[in-house]
Amino acid sequence: MMLLRRNGWVASLALVFATLAVVTKLIQPAYHADDFASLAGAALPYAFAVAAQAVVVIGGGIDLSVAATMALTSVTAARLMGGTGEEAALWVVPFVLLLGAGLGALNGILIVLTRVPDIVVTLATLFMFQGAALLVLPAPGGGAAEWLKGLIVGTVALPLPEAITQWIPKALIVLVVSLCVVWIPLRRSRLGLSIYAVGSSELAAFRSGGGVVRTKVLAYAIGGLFAAMGGLSLTLATGIGAPIPGPYLMASVAAVVLGGVVLGGGRGGLLGPIIAVFILRLVRTDLALLSLDPNVTTIIEGTIMVVVVMLGAWMAMRGARR
Amino acid sequence: MKLKSALSLAVAGLLASSAMAAAEGYKIGVSNTVQGNGWREEMVCAMKAEALASGKVESLNIAHRNTDAAGQLEDIRNLIQAGVDAIVVNPADPSGINAALKEATDKGIVVIAVDQGVTEPSAYVISNNQEEYAYLGAKWLFEQIGGKGSVVYMRGAAGASADSDRDAGFKRALAEFPDVTVAQETFTGWQQDQGKQQILDYIATGIPFDGVWTSGIDNVIVDALVESGAPMVPVVGADNAGFVGQLINVEGLTGAAVTNPGSIGGAGVALAIQILDGAKPDAQTVLVDPALWTNATPEGKAQLEAAADPSLSPEWPVSISIEGWTSYTKEQIIACKGPGE
Repeated sequence: MMLLRRNGWVASLALVFATLAVVTKLIQPAYHADDFASLAGAALPYAFAVAAQAVVVIGGGIDLSVAATMALTSVTAARLMGGTGEEAALWVVPFVLLLGAGLGALNGILIVLTRVPDIVVTLATLFMFQGAALLVLPAPGGGAAEWLKGLIVGTVALPLPEAITQWIPKALIVLVVSLCVVWIPLRRSRLGLSIYAVGSSELAAFRSGGGVVRTKVLAYAIGGLFAAMGGLSLTLATGIGAPIPGPYLMASVAAVVLGGVVLGGGRGGLLGPIIAVFILRLVRTDLALLSLDPNVTTIIEGTIMVVVVMLGAWMAMRGARR
Repeated sequence: MKLKSALSLAVAGLLASSAMAAAEGYKIGVSNTVQGNGWREEMVCAMKAEALASGKVESLNIAHRNTDAAGQLEDIRNLIQAGVDAIVVNPADPSGINAALKEATDKGIVVIAVDQGVTEPSAYVISNNQEEYAYLGAKWLFEQIGGKGSVVYMRGAAGASADSDRDAGFKRALAEFPDVTVAQETFTGWQQDQGKQQILDYIATGIPFDGVWTSGIDNVIVDALVESGAPMVPVVGADNAGFVGQLINVEGLTGAAVTNPGSIGGAGVALAIQILDGAKPDAQTVLVDPALWTNATPEGKAQLEAAADPSLSPEWPVSISIEGWTSYTKEQIIACKGPGE
């Protein structure tokens, strides 16, 4: 029953996205596959930020340092790749991913060691990582290998008719592959189960021998790994690293909630939040196409979020009563 | 010779007529990544006012939010999808948005970067000279304190390219005065409250200082000096209406305002319309050099008094128009209405 309800939520999100896509086509009849590729490119850093937040939230925590981790990993990648050859990227990418996982693990270790609440620890590390990013690159700069930048631009030749392949931008493939490589094995492993268990009830997980400490640290480490992917995607999109964190923290929390992950932990998946990211990006595209007052745009984005989340809560309540 | 000029006339005529055909009204897109800052608000209002005053713009499509270079890539691509004829952009980074700018110019969209430059060669740049801005003010300050002493260096936002350009100008002036030292370096983030808190914190340490250089967060610094009863040291700021008023009215304050017109946004729209009309400028990059007005000299004082405008919001630069570029009236920029609003 619960499974059905969760999938129901994801299905309704997909339906919202499809409706929005139709609306977009109505507003701008010239909307084309290229424009969808732009959308996927824009969604990429948000999607990784949301994935990072989702894993941590499912495990019963919250990570306020997501955007700062992205900034730190992004400037590190840009600085290491700036002015070096194309091959350098081959070791820069794994190094930066490891760095991200390390930063996430640091969050987790501090939380379990000090027993200070997650929100306080990650707020502190937010400032640490932000400062560290400015030490790595005091101003936007660095570079990125051309072949890496090419990874998220355009489409790839698949053995399918062009009418289909042009709607499958590389950015989308990179996103799906990167998330699946980490998430699917995790979901099926003992660790994945423990993350959900710890998120549901830390005490119950502890009493049944769930290895709470290890699980928490690893959940944060995986979050950090996703955040590093987000940081890399920023460097690939812009060709530089920028030390000031972008607007990814708020966006990640919003899409996590919209995507059906319960903020208390223990429930939700990755698919819902990712579709939520695409919905929020497409809403922005539509508002841009409509040429609305930019200050109104923000209000509309917020309103949509509140309405959808309230609708979700109402549906859940009705379901519970039955 | 005659034939050549006749030919060029004919070509110009053709261009003009084709432009006329399209001149039912241009659609111009705007992308800006800092919201809620007086300077940027004036820039956006200047864009709206110029679009309205020109009579050639059918609609403005404004993407105006707080975001980073990646977010600006998204905004610019959305503007491309909206089918605009030109994009005027205040870049979040000189090279970080090149990919989207290239996509725009490849589609025949005219791209103008205002305020800060971009490295994409197909884009036009009309910008305030930020390095010169800092050099001019810093040099004045160091001369004012007799080439000796310590100054508080209140920068903009860490990591912003306008801030690093200004830092280069400040350091250039500093190198010319070996006996001047920086007592304290802070980042105000171009936020009034932060800047005021930082100077109050520094005054509270009791360490004396001989001058303050600010990156445009200026009137709150004078307020802090007055309120805390600290010695009135020379202060350098921008031509914000509030600070210009203080330079005229505050007893014992010596200072200088360096111009950094937010109306550069209007100039960007004017340039876009000019290019869409078929008149390409001679250079890809136009730099507007700053001027310095100080209340230490009678001429400077006269300039300040001529520029002062208490009817403007204190955070707005007083230079609300740029000679030779903008064509709107003061009422139009204050009303802040674009075409169709």
